[in-house]
Amino acid sequence: MTFRIGRRQFLMGTSALMAAGVAGISPVFAQAANLRLIFWGGQARADRTYGVTDLFEADTGNKIDGEFLAWNDYWPKLATQTAGGNAPDIVQMDYRYIVEYAKRNAIAPLDEFVGGALKLDDFDADQLEGGKVGGKLYGISLGANSVATLVNTVAFQEAGVEIPTNAWTYDELMTKGEAFAKANIRNGMKMMMDASYSEPMLDNWLRQKGLKLYTAEGKLGFGADEMVEWLTMWKTMRDAGIIVSPDNQALDTGPLETTMLVSGKAAMMPSNSNQLVAFQTLVPDKLDMIGYPRIAAGVGGGHYRKPSMFFSVGGSSANKEAAAEFLNFFISNPEAAKILGVERGIPCLPATRDIVAPTLDEQNQIALNFVSNLGDLLGPLPPPPPAAAGEIDSSLLRTIGQEVGFGARTPEDAGPYFVSEATAILERAT
Amino acid sequence: MSIQNVASAPPSAEVEKVSGWRRIWQQDAPGYLFLLPWFIGFFGLTLGPMIYSFYLSFNHFDLLTAPRWAGLDNYMRMFTNDPKFSASMRVTLFFVVFSVPLKLAFALGVALLLNRGMKGLTIYRSLFYLPSLLGASVAIAILWRQIFAGDGLVNKFLSIFGIVGPSWISNPNYSLWTLIVLSIWQFGSPMIIFLAGLRQIPQDMYEAASLDGASKWRQFWKITLPLLTPVVFFNAIIQTIEAFKSFTPAFIISGGTGNPINSTLFYTLYLYQEAFGFFRMGYASALAWVLLALVALFTAFSFLTSKYWVHYDD
Repeated sequence: MTFRIGRRQFLMGTSALMAAGVAGISPVFAQAANLRLIFWGGQARADRTYGVTDLFEADTGNKIDGEFLAWNDYWPKLATQTAGGNAPDIVQMDYRYIVEYAKRNAIAPLDEFVGGALKLDDFDADQLEGGKVGGKLYGISLGANSVATLVNTVAFQEAGVEIPTNAWTYDELMTKGEAFAKANIRNGMKMMMDASYSEPMLDNWLRQKGLKLYTAEGKLGFGADEMVEWLTMWKTMRDAGIIVSPDNQALDTGPLETTMLVSGKAAMMPSNSNQLVAFQTLVPDKLDMIGYPRIAAGVGGGHYRKPSMFFSVGGSSANKEAAAEFLNFFISNPEAAKILGVERGIPCLPATRDIVAPTLDEQNQIALNFVSNLGDLLGPLPPPPPAAAGEIDSSLLRTIGQEVGFGARTPEDAGPYFVSEATAILERAT
Repeated sequence: MSIQNVASAPPSAEVEKVSGWRRIWQQDAPGYLFLLPWFIGFFGLTLGPMIYSFYLSFNHFDLLTAPRWAGLDNYMRMFTNDPKFSASMRVTLFFVVFSVPLKLAFALGVALLLNRGMKGLTIYRSLFYLPSLLGASVAIAILWRQIFAGDGLVNKFLSIFGIVGPSWISNPNYSLWTLIVLSIWQFGSPMIIFLAGLRQIPQDMYEAASLDGASKWRQFWKITLPLLTPVVFFNAIIQTIEAFKSFTPAFIISGGTGNPINSTLFYTLYLYQEAFGFFRMGYASALAWVLLALVALFTAFSFLTSKYWVHYDD
């Protein structure tokens, strides 16, 4: 079948395009593209991001309209816009959602731009791999990070407890936690928050045992026995007063300000390496970071360098090429690199890393050093979590953790219950 | 062409019809024209989405891919295989059953106090109404967190008496009660309506009753309350519907989680989670329709029983 366009239709079509151009609607082939960008984060991230979009506009003439929201508000908004066929050209994407969006063509494969608009020859191989779905590249990692335990150094000094190092174990968490609680500083501050329903910490603990949270097929990667063991371990610490009490822990509803580290009820908190910057603005005491505890001395492999977040190109974008150019600018332009720092994680291009490193202050150096020196803590990148992982985390793991915390369920009962409910949620989602 | 037809038509009943139409056009059209913004809003923003949501409730829809027909799946799952549905239903019913009567009793009590013709009534009335204006706001919900947290105002007050209180808002035994207290605190609008109702009661009835030696207590039960029943009924209906729809305080105080242990997982909050947390628009629509049916049922039941206890003054 061929399309034949008559002379008259051609004239009408082109004049309509001209008219659209006059009316300020840029036709697809126009030189200057107006791109839309959406991302999650706070004001600090927005300031850095807009600094780069301004640079990009000055450099290329392509204007970028940005919009940012908090994590919880971001995903409903992006899904609604995508459903309405109105998704932005550039979207910030998370490891948790990238498969979901890629499978539905809500984000576009970028392979055709690699080597052209996107220059990725030196890009860290593991970070490049993290942005692939089914062999195609759907997201450009904006930085590598790792899980990390944030430490309030001043509180440790006050309690007279020596700050653990990357070599620390869960046994050390218990003995030091006991000494910390005995010191009774700051109205009963504990050494560690109740992390019994912290998904990354459970994941890390399982990986050290050679298991995983989810298999590559999207099934649960562990059984009821492990869950019972995990919950029992935390129950022991809770009953001994080593960790924060359950009703204090329940005050943590997600936002940084509600966490035990910021409210001063715990001196340690499992988090991510790039979040030190954000937490330090909220905690007056100097923060530091170490790895998650080991299940036994010398056991590693729980951590991994994960893409902290991606930029992807909207599947329905009319300006994919220009969007890809922006992505390249964002990860490689020297001036942009200085503005962005390590707020989104450690840059994945060596050249960019070299530009950023000397500009960092002491606090930002901590994250850079931590991620570069994980040593034997480092293990392989796990497969992307299944679509229902978010639901299992927020509505099942959290609830069960609280039920055990408040004594409404025993660990022995909660373990099998968790496995059966999680399996049901995973099955329902497919 | 149609104009020509009309012009060439013989002067008969046709013409009268036309002039009839013209009259309607001239007399009624401006009215409808003024109503147009409301019509657009009602059909475009209320009725249209409602019909669509009814359709969606029989589908699986995740926003990213087109809706898939599901028949009665959503409703089946709700009633047979969803512990969170029953949990959220329990929380909401508990909230309705306790917050509405307590709030109405409190509002009536304050209205009775204010009705005694005290000085500066308008100021007191405004002050007591103030919480209702602020009530559903995000700021108050955040303030509530501060007041009822472990080191909040309430526990500082209790510590004067040597009592160590729990963290009320994050303890599953008390968290729902803090929301009920928040709801009672917003007693302003039923209070104003009660106050107006009290003014309607003829004073001579009280005079006659005191002449017969009826105590104030007896007067309240035999005169005030019976004559106030239409207002009580009105307030009860409005507040019950409000309570079923309550969303903001639980959303803010629990950070949208309904925690601890789903103790503040209001039905509307669960609906929101399903829709915008887990992108199950079809299931969320089905939840919404069940809520609508439930509220309609409650209201119908209230109207049916009202003839036994509401006394209209006629």
